[in-house]
Amino acid sequence: MHHANHFYGHAHVLARYTGLGDGHPPRINGYVQHGWNIGDGLAPGHPYAERTPSLLWSEQTRRRAWSVGRRNVVVIGAPFVYLLAMRPADPPPTKREGTIWYPFHGWEGQHVKGDHKELIARIRDTEPGPVTVCLYWHEYGMRRVRRLYENAGFRVICHGYRGHWWRDTDPYFLDKQLTELRRHRRVASNRLTSAIFYGIAAGCEPAVYGDPMVLANEDPTFGGTARIRRQWPELHGEQVDLPTAVRIARSELGTDHRCTPAELRELLGWANLQEETS
Amino acid sequence: MTTETAPRIALPGGEMLAWSDLPEQRLAAGGPLAALAARIVPAGARVLLAGPHDPALLDRLAHAEVTCLLRSYPDGVALAERAARVVVGGPAGLPDGERFDVVIAGAGLDAVESVEGTRLGWGGVLDRLVAALRPGGDLLLRLDNPLGLHRLVAASPWYARRDDDAWAVGGVLDTDRPANLGQARDRLDRAGVRVDGSWAAYPQPAAATALVATGPLAERTTSGLLDAVLHGACAGGYARRDVLQDPARLAVDALHAGRAADLAPGWLVLARRSADAAAPAAAGRAELPVALVQTGPPDVGVVEVVDGPDGWCWRAGPAAPAGPAAPFATREAAYRDPAVLAGPVPAGRLLRTVLLDACLRRDLDTLRRVLRGYADWLTGQARDDGRIGGAVALAGADNVVVAGDAFAVLDPSWQASEPLAGDVVLARALWRFAAELLTGGYAHPWTSTLDVAGVAVVLGGVAGRDLDRATVAAAVDAEAAITAALHGLDADRRGTLATELGAVEPTDPPVGPRSYQQLREAWLRQREELTRLAALLKWTEELLTSRERALRRADATINLLSGSLSYRVGRLAITPARLARRGARAAKRRAREALAPKQEEQQ
Repeated sequence: MHHANHFYGHAHVLARYTGLGDGHPPRINGYVQHGWNIGDGLAPGHPYAERTPSLLWSEQTRRRAWSVGRRNVVVIGAPFVYLLAMRPADPPPTKREGTIWYPFHGWEGQHVKGDHKELIARIRDTEPGPVTVCLYWHEYGMRRVRRLYENAGFRVICHGYRGHWWRDTDPYFLDKQLTELRRHRRVASNRLTSAIFYGIAAGCEPAVYGDPMVLANEDPTFGGTARIRRQWPELHGEQVDLPTAVRIARSELGTDHRCTPAELRELLGWANLQEETS
Repeated sequence: MTTETAPRIALPGGEMLAWSDLPEQRLAAGGPLAALAARIVPAGARVLLAGPHDPALLDRLAHAEVTCLLRSYPDGVALAERAARVVVGGPAGLPDGERFDVVIAGAGLDAVESVEGTRLGWGGVLDRLVAALRPGGDLLLRLDNPLGLHRLVAASPWYARRDDDAWAVGGVLDTDRPANLGQARDRLDRAGVRVDGSWAAYPQPAAATALVATGPLAERTTSGLLDAVLHGACAGGYARRDVLQDPARLAVDALHAGRAADLAPGWLVLARRSADAAAPAAAGRAELPVALVQTGPPDVGVVEVVDGPDGWCWRAGPAAPAGPAAPFATREAAYRDPAVLAGPVPAGRLLRTVLLDACLRRDLDTLRRVLRGYADWLTGQARDDGRIGGAVALAGADNVVVAGDAFAVLDPSWQASEPLAGDVVLARALWRFAAELLTGGYAHPWTSTLDVAGVAVVLGGVAGRDLDRATVAAAVDAEAAITAALHGLDADRRGTLATELGAVEPTDPPVGPRSYQQLREAWLRQREELTRLAALLKWTEELLTSRERALRRADATINLLSGSLSYRVGRLAITPARLARRGARAAKRRAREALAPKQEEQQ
């Protein structure tokens, strides 16, 4: 299995959904899209075996992937959608308060260019209630960055480590994220990312504003942040039309494409397992 | 071979003594052509049957006085007992001045001419037959389409024929011969007969198992009935033949393009000779069938569809004499009961076509809506115990029509003998569709890693049902039993069929015609799978190398740590505990061994 399938505990969520329990998930015969993506659904730079299935979130991504030469592309919806199906009201959405704010992150090999202080000022000016800032583990581990947000009076959290080469994956990463999202009334970021779509699906009002913090050496193949703003202008701004956002999130996360457990076992190559999960 | 044995045979000259035109494989009761002829010929009419016809057709015309005009002497002998009179010779052998109420040339005009005597050509034979028709009389004539579907799928070109009857190859280049329905109308008009009815003949001009009126065929492009009729006729009619492309696909595509009449392999044209006075009204023509179809077991005969005041209705034709009942017939899984074919034909598109279209366009929303509707419809027909019986139990994608959100069995004469579990009924329909989708080489929304059963399970998921592989396996067994029953297979062949069905792979070509396109597609699919598996193998090898390296590093770390002082001190400290545990295990084992015989004795 491609190690990226374990990122954020995606394989664990899918294994739980298909009735395989909480153990180590079996190998997936394909690549599960591991984040919202304006390309072919796969992470740029990762090596992939030709014609190995791409298990993608949305129909739009599937069309795009096909158009750039990918084959064996199939839409299954985001793993987060499966988590929502398993936890439709857990925790019960009794009291939502404040905003959960996701400053855009790069992954470990990337370096964000931008001014956190400026972003903090913008957040304080905009958000009406208490703010929880969720940092990527990489930035969460950078004491200087974390302090900046803590000193601004924000609660600073991290959902966990996404894992690398099958090691240290937090299998409950998405669970923690869902729990946090359901505690908040708003979800915001300086870029349209997976977290915004997850937040919308979890019942938050979305907002995308502030310096998008361009990555050094950002891959311009699929158009970058400029294209994201062009294609999804409705989701940008401090206030966003909620029904429109819900409709787009539904499409981008592939909510309607969620498979039944038996169907998913077939698509992941788990229908005739030779190995035991542990 | 003397005239004494067949006194009703007239030999005016031009007979072919060592020749036969009668087909070796014949349709039961003469097939749709005989059924149509029986509808056209009034009781007591004088009929000229020009050219070779199935002997069963003469049986269907028992209410008329039939003269056969043949070129083959052996055929004349074979038909002599069934006809009032047999004339063996070329068209010149017809007595001058004799007039008939109906002239039928159901094998076309080429087969009327003998090799002996002067050639008249297509137009000459037509003129001779029209001359034999009384004013106001009817001509039923078969025309072959030089650009018909049978030509488009043929592996050999029409202009290279080498058969014994190809002493002259008439084709589209012969301007005397009409090459489409419009030209036929003009040509017949000039000959003095006016066309007022035409049927498209599928799948072969000489062996039509389906006749469909050309008007509705051109207009009702999305009709589920016509879709199923054309597909069924072509899939069956070209089974195990070498063709360039799938004739059933081409026929259904032509239907949707409004060109199924234009691409028909042949036509049957009904024309009336102008009366000397005003042309008589075409009495009774409104009752002629829209479609005549012969499918299924031979004893069912031809099923007709007529256009009534409430739309199209089924009308089962007279049943052919039934053969001996199959042994244990009551235990067969399915049977056909034409008696139920009496009501209206449900309108709507064929479910198979709707599903194929959605798969090709990767329209998962439509697939979900349609398949859920279908699964709900099946569930709604189930009894209290969840089992489904009757026609619905067999109603797969090829026999269900969809109109909006409503589903209906198209042809309810296919019946299950015993009710089947509801999920098995759904799984069987989905497995059959999956097999056709994959082996047919259709593009679809899923991956090549799925086998046929896998796609059936996935389709079940799209239908909102969590089917498992055991249910699909039960459905494949049911499919073998049903197919065996409908085709009269014995237990051995049924077992073989079940094994074959279970072994169908997505990289196999489809059953039925051996189509070059589909064989090539199957090869391409195999090649792509090999490419995928080779890439996967390379990837796995690299990954294995990397993981082995990681394992060696971990081993080295473990060895390093186990040699350290702190490890040794720790190991010494826990040694008494390890020994104690080992002793406890041994005691437990001895106790168990001591108890075991006693337990056995108690049992």
